[in-house]
Amino acid sequence: MNDIKQELLAEQTFADQIQKTFKTAGVRVIRKRRIEVVMRADLIPPYLTHAKNQHNFEHLSHISCVDWLEEGHFELVYILWSYTMEMQLIVKCRIPRHTPQFTSIQNIWEHAGTYEREIHEMYGITFAGNDNLGDFLLEDWEGPPPMRRDFDTVKYSEENFKDRMDARQDAQNVRETITKRSGEDMPDFAKPYSLR
Amino acid sequence: MNPNINDKDSRKIVDIIQSYAQKHSLWVLAYGTGCGAIEIPPTMTSRYDAERFGITGRPTPRMADVLLITGYLATKTLKRVIRSYEQMQSPKYVIGFGSCTINGGMYWDSYNTIKSLDHYLPVDVYINGCMPRPEAVISGFVKLQEMISNGTANGWEKYRDNLDLYRSQQKEVIKNWQMPDYNW
Repeated sequence: MNDIKQELLAEQTFADQIQKTFKTAGVRVIRKRRIEVVMRADLIPPYLTHAKNQHNFEHLSHISCVDWLEEGHFELVYILWSYTMEMQLIVKCRIPRHTPQFTSIQNIWEHAGTYEREIHEMYGITFAGNDNLGDFLLEDWEGPPPMRRDFDTVKYSEENFKDRMDARQDAQNVRETITKRSGEDMPDFAKPYSLR
Repeated sequence: MNPNINDKDSRKIVDIIQSYAQKHSLWVLAYGTGCGAIEIPPTMTSRYDAERFGITGRPTPRMADVLLITGYLATKTLKRVIRSYEQMQSPKYVIGFGSCTINGGMYWDSYNTIKSLDHYLPVDVYINGCMPRPEAVISGFVKLQEMISNGTANGWEKYRDNLDLYRSQQKEVIKNWQMPDYNW
């Protein structure tokens, strides 16, 4: 038990330090070298600046997005890495689903703009301050943002892309043909559901 | 030799010699989409050695005879594939490689990949499997060679004759058509 505490000592002291500075934040040590911070959305840009300048989290690994459809939220996840502390910091915040707008952090990390473009395309979140939110991976996309959970991808695909089924000209049921040819009864599992 | 060679309806001897030459020099456009392109290096290199059938890679569409669609096609890629296909010199052949080109394969419900390639380009031979092994690839090429010598590999003629139909089907998927109407 003591060893585990010793092992997580650096993480715990750092977490306490964050808690002391940002009183509304929820700080949790996930495991060694990994800390999660849940923030209010408006505190994210100042906090990320603080983490970069004061705690040497100089590397932004990724920005990710989670769609909490039932709760009506988008969760933005910023993953930072510090080379000096060798520690990963996961900063999370939630924004309402009906007004998907957030502030860009492109002025803190230049490459954050690319991640924001992707999130804009896949989830439809606009980032104020990022003026490059155009087409990114999808070309000429006209539908709703495809990674949102209320987007029905099967329905969209059926409506837009022709299947091979309607191209089949003889319209024969292969299983029926085979059973007729061999003079056997069709097994139950091969019948259509209406005939079982 | 074909016994009906002197019949009026049968193919001319020039055609037979021409198809013999064609089928032994199938040059493939070195263009890979999806995951299937990973099966091409073992097919081409010493173990399976597709070059003994006259199959080899070419860098540009102008030099190639065969367009090998190796896997799923996003609508974005389809645009490029159509451009490449139309720049190829006829006679030209399309081989659909893997189940993605037949019915969408594992991307059957994807929002951005087409299901059946045959609606957009005339496919001569399908090689099924996910992924097909190099043996299957070579067998598909041998099938194409047979079709060339029979004179039945005429997908490019079908495309030329039904260009309007193919074009309308392509434009259903590619919404923003910023290409010339045909790249001769």
